[in-house]
Amino acid sequence: MYVIVIGGGKVGYYLSKHLLDRGYEVTLIEKDPRRAEVLNSVLGEIVMVGDGDEMAFLATTGMERADVVVAVTGDDEDNLVALQLAKERFKVPRTIARVNNPANVSIFKMLGVDEAVSATEVLLGALEPKIGGQ
Amino acid sequence: MKLVIVGCGRVGAMAAVALSRAGHQVTVVDVNRRAFDRLGSDFTGEMILGNGIDEDVLRQAGIETADGFASLTNGDNRNIMAAQIAREIFKVPRVITRIYDPMREDVYRELGLDTVCPTLSGAKAIHAMLKE
Repeated sequence: MYVIVIGGGKVGYYLSKHLLDRGYEVTLIEKDPRRAEVLNSVLGEIVMVGDGDEMAFLATTGMERADVVVAVTGDDEDNLVALQLAKERFKVPRTIARVNNPANVSIFKMLGVDEAVSATEVLLGALEPKIGGQ
Repeated sequence: MKLVIVGCGRVGAMAAVALSRAGHQVTVVDVNRRAFDRLGSDFTGEMILGNGIDEDVLRQAGIETADGFASLTNGDNRNIMAAQIAREIFKVPRVITRIYDPMREDVYRELGLDTVCPTLSGAKAIHAMLKE
């Protein structure tokens, strides 16, 4: 199983680390070269420096054979476009996005992203008393 | 016509002023309050402070009843996302988006967005002038 993670912030780092631990083949895409260097030294040469929305660069990541692409940058619009390109141009079967604005969970799904996860929504769910709970 | 313009930079502001003068009801959205200065003091349209990819901000700008929409911020991805929200979620009849990157413009034009690519049109114009 080949997974491409776009965005090497904290979420991208921990996600890649756990995927590697579980035996997945992982490529992590990070646009800042200095951050990429740090990530490479701790994760072991799985990081590629480039933009998640640059077609020419994406072609060099082997995206056409990826089983899943996960976009976890801090910008919803960048995650959306990266995943739409993955679907449209590279026919990636499964795309997953991190979204900041909870309203974008349903918007992303309408715009063709397979799954969208909002930390804000998860936190709200944890805060609010469970319906039918004790 | 009721028109919503996201991005009050040079192009957004100029389009907003011209359309407003032509008698259209124009609402401009920008994240930066100072960007509205470009509209001049005689601008009669509405100004909404906020992010053009935020559904709630777009509702506030009257997108639900808009006849036309243009996303003209300096971010390609932001423009693409705003245009798709206008088209797919709010079913605005006429949606135009500016995309600087010709490759991304190609993808989204194929997906059905009405796009303007200043990089391509600029390069073509310069090419034609140099050939003369």
